[in-house]
Amino acid sequence: MQNPKRRQLVILRRSPYGSSLARAAVDLSLAMGAFEQDCDLLFLGDGVLQLLDGQSAEAIGSKNLGKMLASLPLYDIESVLVDAAALRSFGLTTADLVLQARLVEPAAMNTLLAGYDHLFSC
Amino acid sequence: MILHTLNASPGSTAFRDCLATAGAADTILLLGDGVYAALPGSEAEQALLACPARLRVLEIDARAAGLLQRLADSILIDMDGFVALSETHPRQLAWY
Repeated sequence: MQNPKRRQLVILRRSPYGSSLARAAVDLSLAMGAFEQDCDLLFLGDGVLQLLDGQSAEAIGSKNLGKMLASLPLYDIESVLVDAAALRSFGLTTADLVLQARLVEPAAMNTLLAGYDHLFSC
Repeated sequence: MILHTLNASPGSTAFRDCLATAGAADTILLLGDGVYAALPGSEAEQALLACPARLRVLEIDARAAGLLQRLADSILIDMDGFVALSETHPRQLAWY
């Protein structure tokens, strides 16, 4: 058994429907939650677009990633972090997101990452 | 201390996000398509020089790309050097 105190961060930095990687990262996060692995999520760069409210992906034959992400608090996802600079660069605020997220400013990013035992980049 | 393995060309979001994230205690290792960022005089190289992290380039990939003669020996590492970096950095973060 792994030490339950290990802290793990999944970094999501892909746009939601441009590739299968965004969905894969969400699946990874949910699987980790199912196995009681302590896991936080960081939406970085283009990844912040996954959280955009009002997605309707049925027309392109995909599952609605925003809806899946909105359900994350039901799983054991401890906290959801968002790249504040990326959000600003897209002209968005936390009010545009499908769930409550904590903003991380660029100056705090490196310290944040260094606080985790494992980093997963998708 | 984080070992950032950057395997994406300089125009990619991976390149941008990696540089925005890496700190002074970290090392950025360029490999695969990432090696082109080390081209002297390029915009990408300027960005790398402005980043506080230490820079290394995987020699076999630089050789394959035709960059070997263009790069300073001091930043090149072989596979043993890669392994050594993984031993000195508790965390690794893949950018691709």
